[in-house]
Amino acid sequence: MKKIPFLFALFLAAVLGRLNAEYKFFTPPGSFAVEVSLENSPYPRLPAYRNAITSLAVVGDWAVGGTSAEKGLSPFLFAVSLSDRRMAYSVDLKELVAGQRAIRSGFGAGATGVLYCGTIPDTAGGDGHLLEVLVEGRALVVHDLGVPVRGQGVFALTADPGREALYGITYPSGQFFARDLKTSTTTLLSDTVPGERDLVFLQNYALEPADYLCRRLIQDRKGRVFGSMPVNRLFRYDPDTGRLSVLEAELPEGWGRRALGRVDAWTMAPDGALYGGCAGDGQLFRLDPDTGRVSNLGKPAQMPGMKGLAFAADGRIYGVAGGAPGYAHLFCYDPAAQNFTDLGNPRFEMKAPGIEQGIWWRGFQIGTLAATPDGRQIVMGEEESLSQLLVFPVGPRR
Amino acid sequence: MFRSLEHGVAPGSSGRTAGSDEDPMIAGLLPLLLTLTAFLVPPAGAEITARNVRFVEYPDFPDAHSSWGSIGFSRTHGKVFVGVTNHRDRVGLYEYDPGPRRMRLCGFIADLANLRDFQWQAKIHSQIVEGPDGAMYFTTDGGESREEYLMEHPRGYAGGFFMRWDPATNRMTNLGMGLPYESLKDLAVDQATGLICAVSYPQVHFLTYDVRRNRLRDLGRLGSDHVPRVLFSDWWNNVYYPDWRQRLVKFEGDTGTMIFAGDSLPAFPGTPGEYIVTGITAYARDPGAGVIYLVTYGAKMLAFRPSQRGIGEVEDLGGIFDSPDKPAWNYYCPNLALGENGKLYYFIGGHGMYAVRGESIVLMEFDPASRRKRIVLEYPLRQISEVTGSDVKDKQGNLYFAGRRSDPVAEERGESGASRPFMIVFNPAREP
Repeated sequence: MKKIPFLFALFLAAVLGRLNAEYKFFTPPGSFAVEVSLENSPYPRLPAYRNAITSLAVVGDWAVGGTSAEKGLSPFLFAVSLSDRRMAYSVDLKELVAGQRAIRSGFGAGATGVLYCGTIPDTAGGDGHLLEVLVEGRALVVHDLGVPVRGQGVFALTADPGREALYGITYPSGQFFARDLKTSTTTLLSDTVPGERDLVFLQNYALEPADYLCRRLIQDRKGRVFGSMPVNRLFRYDPDTGRLSVLEAELPEGWGRRALGRVDAWTMAPDGALYGGCAGDGQLFRLDPDTGRVSNLGKPAQMPGMKGLAFAADGRIYGVAGGAPGYAHLFCYDPAAQNFTDLGNPRFEMKAPGIEQGIWWRGFQIGTLAATPDGRQIVMGEEESLSQLLVFPVGPRR
Repeated sequence: MFRSLEHGVAPGSSGRTAGSDEDPMIAGLLPLLLTLTAFLVPPAGAEITARNVRFVEYPDFPDAHSSWGSIGFSRTHGKVFVGVTNHRDRVGLYEYDPGPRRMRLCGFIADLANLRDFQWQAKIHSQIVEGPDGAMYFTTDGGESREEYLMEHPRGYAGGFFMRWDPATNRMTNLGMGLPYESLKDLAVDQATGLICAVSYPQVHFLTYDVRRNRLRDLGRLGSDHVPRVLFSDWWNNVYYPDWRQRLVKFEGDTGTMIFAGDSLPAFPGTPGEYIVTGITAYARDPGAGVIYLVTYGAKMLAFRPSQRGIGEVEDLGGIFDSPDKPAWNYYCPNLALGENGKLYYFIGGHGMYAVRGESIVLMEFDPASRRKRIVLEYPLRQISEVTGSDVKDKQGNLYFAGRRSDPVAEERGESGASRPFMIVFNPAREP
């Protein structure tokens, strides 16, 4: 009879051992989570339903985020100190620009640490604004740069500090625009707008503009702007000529899913090659910006979507695949070895006043990913009703 | 402070592992036994012995592996309902009638609810809660690792369902799924409107489902990496759940909004973060006194006095067990019930955390007035290895729990421990 506890302990050890083996999360040494959102908080935090981190960039020590809110609510801009691992500043956008719901354009980097982003209005037919964001002194400073296109929001944005220009995609029409920051004038191009036949095709799949418009733009080393347009196409805009051309090569396609084709995320390699992630099926692809050649590199996870990509100091691309209704897989891709590694679901420790002992935080829905300028840290933003920031270090190139 | 009990069979126990109500021989002798029982009932106030506890087996389910928080009482029908599972793909719904002491299998939910093979369910983790229409409501769960990791794979888990069992007609109604790939760990039912609140696993989303309008709302994520398992409601039909800081989050039934408490629930110094985020493991309501007693995963006993508006007050009643041998937070108690005598009863132990050296389960008595607690019974794991169930009692003062006993033979049937499930009936005043 006395053997029973011993046998049970043995059994328990076996079971727990088995469970431990199955529950391996991505928790590298030095990783941490920052509590950005907490309802009814005595600390600087973002309130519920207004904090989905849909835009993210790192400037110096600051991870700067732009959020999306639920209908009728306004978003925030915020800054997290990576060295202090704490939420430092936030700006409630309604205090600056009323009637805005989301900052989902991503950030374009200007000169001397300035970031640019665009907004989506809360009501259809409203005006989206361009914003200038800067961590200055002990504050997050946000300037309203006005409305680039009347009656339209800003769905995607990138910046060219040399030309002092911003380039974007309007929402819901899907037009490409160039905004001259010196003159505050906008040039509109309709080449990216889906035609009537395309719209019928997209509507057959019950898709909305938020499903098929280009989610992110990128510039190559020559200042040319690349993005996607319906249906499943890539375009290149040359600011020198002011011309937009549609590339011959299409986005990688899962058969039958052309309607879902758009670029979810971009990153540029040290050699100038562009890497993108497909929304429809979650493939990673390489784009030669000069030849327009597209190489399908495959997909790291079964789920669709690839909402974040960034090159890190180790020469690898880190990215996020999948998401709702499942949950995200962090992955890395080694261009030299042409090898994917599924890093799984990140789980990092979160410490903050009141939870000094630390709690584990799992990143289920990751909507944005960025690298620090030196590529030694990857920062990820969640898209939840209460979203947090997840950070992990990356070693030097091996 | 505690009465010391010899490890092994508890005093007064007949040595039988459990009362086998479905045993045909016992069933045949039932009238005689009931007559004898009348003479054997201990007087009120007498010492609690093993005779105050009765074990009831589940018939017609040879590969039954476990039961979870899946127990509830129907005031309308005077019956107890329990979900029992093989923790893989067969989940039985049981009905216990306290009058004739009869446990019967209502059926397996896949058959009762017209589930397809790709909608397999591994268990009912939720409480089984009576709604305003007299039906019993519960949710389903994927249970195993394949639920959490396979997701969209053909072998993956489709998602947990809301279910309604009508004891009057013996009919199950499939009320549909919650979120794709997500289990539904627990639910609460508004006693006026029938609105169901539920929480999903692993993403800790708080959901509401309006049965009348077929409207599902996802109010978003409330937890960290581990899902608190218990929802509970007050007498105004407000529903409570903890966030990752172990702060109470109140869903107001009449406004449909959520309110977050400013402060975390009390915890012992040094309570690890993973115990904080897991929140509340059991509750028992005392509407007359306006109190809901809570047990936390960090082994605190709390008295929560809800208010119709706002959050209400929380009183720290101390630990659920005192011992110099272990940290105060390191006791596991996923069950609680309030006796007619005003005292709380709970079994400590399970999931590798035990109160008594040598790993045995203890039945505790806690007097909220004096905050005194004591061990009243102790069981070896071969008799009881884990007990679940919150606030399940009948009008006779019987307290019901879902029990499991250690059974290495069951190891191959599924994860989360090798056990055989059975029901526990406990009455502190008499033989139940």
